[in-house]
Amino acid sequence: MAEVTDELKEKVIKYLETVPHAKNRDVARALGDEKALVDKAIAALAKEDKIEYIYLGASFVKLKGKKMVD
Amino acid sequence: MADETPLLDELEKGPWPSYVTEIKRMAKKNAAAKDLLGIQEQSYKDRVTHWKHGGIVGVTGYGAGVIGRYCDSPEKFPDAASFHTMRINQPAGWFYTTKSLRTICDIWEKYGSGMTNFHGSTGDIILLGTTTENLQPCFDTLTEAGFDLGGSGSALRTPAGCVGQARCEWSNIDTLGLIHDLTMEFQDEIHRPRWPYKFKIKASGCPNDCVAAIARADFTIIGTWRDALRIDQAAVQEYVKKGLDIQELVVRRCPSEALVWDAKTQELKLLVDDCVRCMHCINVMPKAVRPGIEKGATILVGGKAPIIKGAYLSWVLVPFMKVEPPYDEMKDLLRKIWEWWDENGRTRERLAELIERLGFKTFLREMGLKPVPQMVKYPRSNPYVFFDR
Amino acid sequence: MGRTDIGPPDFHEMLPDVIKKNYGTWKYHEIPRPGVLKHVAESGDTVYTVRAGSPRLVSVDFIRDICDIADKHCDGHLRFTSRYNIEFLTPNEKNVDLIIADLKKLGLPVGGTSPGISNIVHTQGWIHCHSAATDASGLVKAIMDEVYEHFVETKLPNHVRIAVGCCINMCGAVHCSDIAVVGVHTKPPRPDHDRVVAQCEIPTTIQSCPTGAIRRHPDQSMKSVVVKEDLCMYCGNCFTVCPAMPLADAEGDGVAIYVGGKVPNARKPPMFSRMVIPFLPNRPPRWPEVVQAVKKIVDIYAANAKPYERVGEWIERIGWEAFFRRTEIPFTEQHIDDFTHAVETYRTTTQFKW
Repeated sequence: MAEVTDELKEKVIKYLETVPHAKNRDVARALGDEKALVDKAIAALAKEDKIEYIYLGASFVKLKGKKMVD
Repeated sequence: MADETPLLDELEKGPWPSYVTEIKRMAKKNAAAKDLLGIQEQSYKDRVTHWKHGGIVGVTGYGAGVIGRYCDSPEKFPDAASFHTMRINQPAGWFYTTKSLRTICDIWEKYGSGMTNFHGSTGDIILLGTTTENLQPCFDTLTEAGFDLGGSGSALRTPAGCVGQARCEWSNIDTLGLIHDLTMEFQDEIHRPRWPYKFKIKASGCPNDCVAAIARADFTIIGTWRDALRIDQAAVQEYVKKGLDIQELVVRRCPSEALVWDAKTQELKLLVDDCVRCMHCINVMPKAVRPGIEKGATILVGGKAPIIKGAYLSWVLVPFMKVEPPYDEMKDLLRKIWEWWDENGRTRERLAELIERLGFKTFLREMGLKPVPQMVKYPRSNPYVFFDR
Repeated sequence: MGRTDIGPPDFHEMLPDVIKKNYGTWKYHEIPRPGVLKHVAESGDTVYTVRAGSPRLVSVDFIRDICDIADKHCDGHLRFTSRYNIEFLTPNEKNVDLIIADLKKLGLPVGGTSPGISNIVHTQGWIHCHSAATDASGLVKAIMDEVYEHFVETKLPNHVRIAVGCCINMCGAVHCSDIAVVGVHTKPPRPDHDRVVAQCEIPTTIQSCPTGAIRRHPDQSMKSVVVKEDLCMYCGNCFTVCPAMPLADAEGDGVAIYVGGKVPNARKPPMFSRMVIPFLPNRPPRWPEVVQAVKKIVDIYAANAKPYERVGEWIERIGWEAFFRRTEIPFTEQHIDDFTHAVETYRTTTQFKW
């Protein structure tokens, strides 16, 4: 599998700026990238403390500090 | 704050050890535990829960392992206003040294309420109740001590297995070795939820299924054997001599009529082809009957509790698989299942529900598995059949 | 940030010597008395296990207490079972009585071996759960007090596995237990329209309902939902995804009792538990109606089942009609399934008992 690039991480962040939260799959579909690679990018961003996970009956990701629906 | 707990006090009576006594023990020295006691008394008065949904809590880099919990009356119970749970991945088989347990106790007494579950339903050690600020330092201290968080949310949940070959002669597979290996292999899947919903793996060493794998795991591993069970006739005769009614309690209870007792020769005969490996005769006469020698596991899929579309028991996917390190065949199958489910599952749709929606046939094709009669109770009875010509 | 993804400790570090040495070569076992197991290995080595009950929700001081026992008699090792029991392992038969004596001092019962009632698998309830329709720890305590004799003795036809789930999520094999006590809501959720706007995604909330009872609010300006109450089965799924749909209610919430489930493949294949009592009120602190109902089912099973029959196997043999007659539990319209796959449960034969 391809490696996670800074470019991909940037794309993930840009996308998450446009939505309150999303499932990893929604991010992959919106970017047109392979899901497994997007999973890796999201994991890397989580370790960098740029995004966080939330639980609303299922798990989603969002930009760290971004206002939730509430 | 509750100094009087007349309702909960009732639960300190009676012979079974009392959890109320345990909370009170901790409440003497921990403010959060004292408020937990108050909240519980309040619920006993009001007959409703006083906990709210979670929200964002976690440790850096993880999306699982912490369950956010807030009390709905923070003004009344300020010391349990935020009372988050940490799930700590248990060592396989729930074996511990007292040193490791005491370490966890010391860490939890410092950072949390001091209340725990040994263990939660899925198998983790549950550390019950801490503040948002304490999560990260508590986690950092736990990992320093060699412990890590388990799964939660739309992730792989902490795998669990029975005591297995560590102390059970019936175990056909090394459940501890397998569960530890899978847990280490799939750390990312446990800690970073990325799927439609939760996914559970459980392994039992024999069809007695002491961890309820068939009822509770999306991916169910149950140890079994392919050859004949082994009978020690002298030991059988010993049971009979001691008064076991072998005809009534063993032969008649055999679900597939695979046993015959010859009272004249005092011999228990097995009709090998008829045996369905249910364990009954072994359970009744553990000294005389043992599983066969060619051991492995049956892999079943789909087990789950009722939410959302009803409960499912796992059904047979691979009738027999060898289970030996490095467990590549099993890992490949798991990855294939996750990829297909992740691509096709709706949010909060478990594997069984997806297979039911898209069809078992579709699932088998995607997995590259051939249909075999062991997968069904009976073949189709209706005439609505697809043929791809 | 500290270390991540280190996983659990390797179990090998946790095993007592006698277990390490005889790993995978155990030959047979006996149950010399209730709560004590004796396993013999091919090598001739023996390990004794003393099994003790635990309230599961325990303080760190409780864990330290049991560690003291393990340090004294078990070389500093212990384990837990899948039903929260604590197990003390020793190769030395003489230690068995010492362990039991020390457990007695702590007030912990020794037992939980077959055939009897082991600890009740259960959930968090009012101790920690936002969707609980009843408490779990308190129900467990009240039921275990009542059936205590079956924990410390082994006189039932087979195991009776009891589980308590505080809502229909049923965390914990509740749906396949001999006797299951399940928290249920019986009133529909009450959407709080101001909070729905703020806290919930409307499409997700609508989609969460397994019976299609949740619709968009007819007034387009209201960004909220309405519940068609005649379609609602009070499952609480919507509340899970939308906190502004509370359905907890002091009068409406209570427990249902399901029986006859099993997990092992021994004799009959695994079975689901079936509902026999649709609703009993929440009466903390000791839920007397629930405790009496469980006791009665256990007693009638104990008096009538054949050796090795699980509750579900016994009921299948005598027939559900006979079960309801013998237990004097009234049969109501709630007992007849009308959810998914309901028709499979209707009787398609003229074979039945009067």
